Amino acid sequence: MDAVLLARLQFAGTTTVHWLFVVLALGLVPLVAVMHTRAALARDPDVRARWERATRFWGRLYVVNYALGIVTGLVMEFQLGLQWSGLSKYAGNVFGAPLALETLIAFFAESTFLGMWIFGWDRLGRRVHAALLWLVTLTAYASAYWIMVANGFLQHPVGHEVRDGVAYLTDFGAMLVNPSALLALGHITAGSLLAGGLFVAGISAYHLARGRAEFQWTLRMGVAVAGASTVPAYALGGVQYPLLERTQPTKMAVLGSGNWADVGHTVMLYVAYVVFLVALVAVVLVHRKGLLRWRVLSVPLFGLLVGEFVGGLLFGEAGPYRVPIAVVCAVLVGVLLWKPPAYQRFLAPVLVAVIPLPFVASVGGWLFREGGRQPWLVYGELTVADAVSPVSATATAVSLVVFMSLFVALAVADWVLIARFARRVH
Amino acid sequence: MVTTAWLVLLGFLLAGYFVLGGYDYGVQVLLPVVGRDEAGRRAVLAALGPWFFGNEVWLVAFAGVLFGAFPVLEGTLLSGLHPLMVLLLVGLVLGKAAVQLRSRAWARLWDVLVVVGGVVPAVAWGLVVGVLLNGVPRGASGAFGVTWSMVLDPFVVACGLTSLALFTAHGAVLLSRRLVDGARARALVRPLIGVVVVGLAVCLVLGWDAVGVVNPGAALVVVGGVLVVLGIGYWRRSFLATACAAASLVVLLGVAQYPYVLVSTLDNSMTAAKGAADPATLAVLSWFGVLVVPLVVAHQWWSRWAFRGRVDQRTPTYF
Repeated sequence: MDAVLLARLQFAGTTTVHWLFVVLALGLVPLVAVMHTRAALARDPDVRARWERATRFWGRLYVVNYALGIVTGLVMEFQLGLQWSGLSKYAGNVFGAPLALETLIAFFAESTFLGMWIFGWDRLGRRVHAALLWLVTLTAYASAYWIMVANGFLQHPVGHEVRDGVAYLTDFGAMLVNPSALLALGHITAGSLLAGGLFVAGISAYHLARGRAEFQWTLRMGVAVAGASTVPAYALGGVQYPLLERTQPTKMAVLGSGNWADVGHTVMLYVAYVVFLVALVAVVLVHRKGLLRWRVLSVPLFGLLVGEFVGGLLFGEAGPYRVPIAVVCAVLVGVLLWKPPAYQRFLAPVLVAVIPLPFVASVGGWLFREGGRQPWLVYGELTVADAVSPVSATATAVSLVVFMSLFVALAVADWVLIARFARRVH
Repeated sequence: MVTTAWLVLLGFLLAGYFVLGGYDYGVQVLLPVVGRDEAGRRAVLAALGPWFFGNEVWLVAFAGVLFGAFPVLEGTLLSGLHPLMVLLLVGLVLGKAAVQLRSRAWARLWDVLVVVGGVVPAVAWGLVVGVLLNGVPRGASGAFGVTWSMVLDPFVVACGLTSLALFTAHGAVLLSRRLVDGARARALVRPLIGVVVVGLAVCLVLGWDAVGVVNPGAALVVVGGVLVVLGIGYWRRSFLATACAAASLVVLLGVAQYPYVLVSTLDNSMTAAKGAADPATLAVLSWFGVLVVPLVVAHQWWSRWAFRGRVDQRTPTYF
């Protein structure tokens, strides 16, 4: 294998493992922050104790997950220089700025505040402690924004001019509002919240099925967040196709070609439909009373949404049968609301089983986004082959094997720990 | 002017990392020595406590600013040091993951990884400094590649071992001040500082003609200053002394190679201006930098102040 392919595999592998931990971190942290806020603001000591236990339980899962996110992210940042020195030579003036700002503005503060939050119990004031987790949330999403600005430049390079084969920054504002960055940021935000919501819902349902009534509150919360994230995830994915038509026609041409970027796209689409449907049905069942109160709105709305995703699953696009499918689905939603079946036995296994699916879908989405960009590193300007470092294939192969085996071993150990802590009660 | 300011910030971030991440590595190395039983080891890890994330992030910020403000240097340096950086990163990843994931399960295995993850980066940073002080074979192509024979040069190896001793001494001072029962760490400080001083003397003898040292006079002043500071640290067991010694690695590299940021043995050295980003980019970054750097200093200071004081085995660790 040549050095370019090895370097690509190494970056793709590192980024994929990194992303699996980032998606849960982004999706989980706002939920834990809400739990902690409810604990901090509660006047009733029982309510406060309940939310404090929830905060510690979910916060621990979040922190165990974070450990791998931080180490894989570190390697990823260094790999840009180790394996892709051509990128810094060509686009360092442009691409480096958002990365530098990400570390200084966002990640620096995020790590400091998270360290303080983890060890802050009984040491910091209750409200300051809860506020710290909101700062972690804010900086985590700020971090995602800057990374997407950098990634958006690779997809759709804006705000620069090329002189003598080197890119120079001319309009930083254009980079900051690059649609290729902003739409993708919205899409991954919704996808992360969907993953985080289903993670909380699945584990809560597991404990609820074992008679731990306290988990009903987090089940309701997780299901609601997951359900509310379906539409933004779907819509912000969909609006990117016209953008791709305009900015990256060769990526659109990948669709239907059967190469691995196309496979990633297909996996993303169909797994996402399944996840969306499970999330919406779970909302109907778990939040039945609230939806019945608003039945005039909820039945047609849920009928429409469920219909859209059922149509997508059956026909690729809901298109021609949209109206009849929506009507049938509205009737089914009505049946679920008025005469719910004895679903309790199936809720926990199904919700636990879907926990990995949003992760699968989002990796598929990234394969499409990054694989579809090939052979370009900076779309239309710099190819991957021209950007690779002058490092021998042997050295690259060694680092590929070392990093990948290390990450896989650590990731498995981390997931085992998460599963163990998820089963243990407080 | 702007380039120099960014070079200073870059040095500040790396020096901050050597001081803060440096004692992390030292504490990791000393885990089995100071923590003889499970309670002792938990206390040692509790000493790393709330700052463990915040310490490592100085390195992340260094890498980010290196890419943003000095992209040409970043690409050349990291790809050139490829095998050494891979070794360093593997050590970092193992150590960082092990400290955080160490729980009562598999504690023995995690402990080994905690120590390995302290030793490897502590040695590797010294090797990096040594290789750069020796000068790198950067030819007309603008790229270079470090070889193992360059790394195994006696001067470079001496640098690696000295930096291991330095970070370990630094960690011992931290533990002696942070643990409720810090006697065992306290007893280690003076012997370790002694090793550092001997190591520095060996480095001086082996590296007196290092090609990468463009300003030998300035380098000698730095090393002399470090010896004086370490002498004070020997008697006072002062954290400030080992911290200054750790930070001096960056100062030494900076002044020894000025006005270059990368000195070549093949007559193609890189000046700061050549390694830096375009002025337009630096101008944009500067606006953010003026606002953000004080904030960084403020939240770092807040986190240290909020968690000051001594720890023992009852202090919470990650789990």
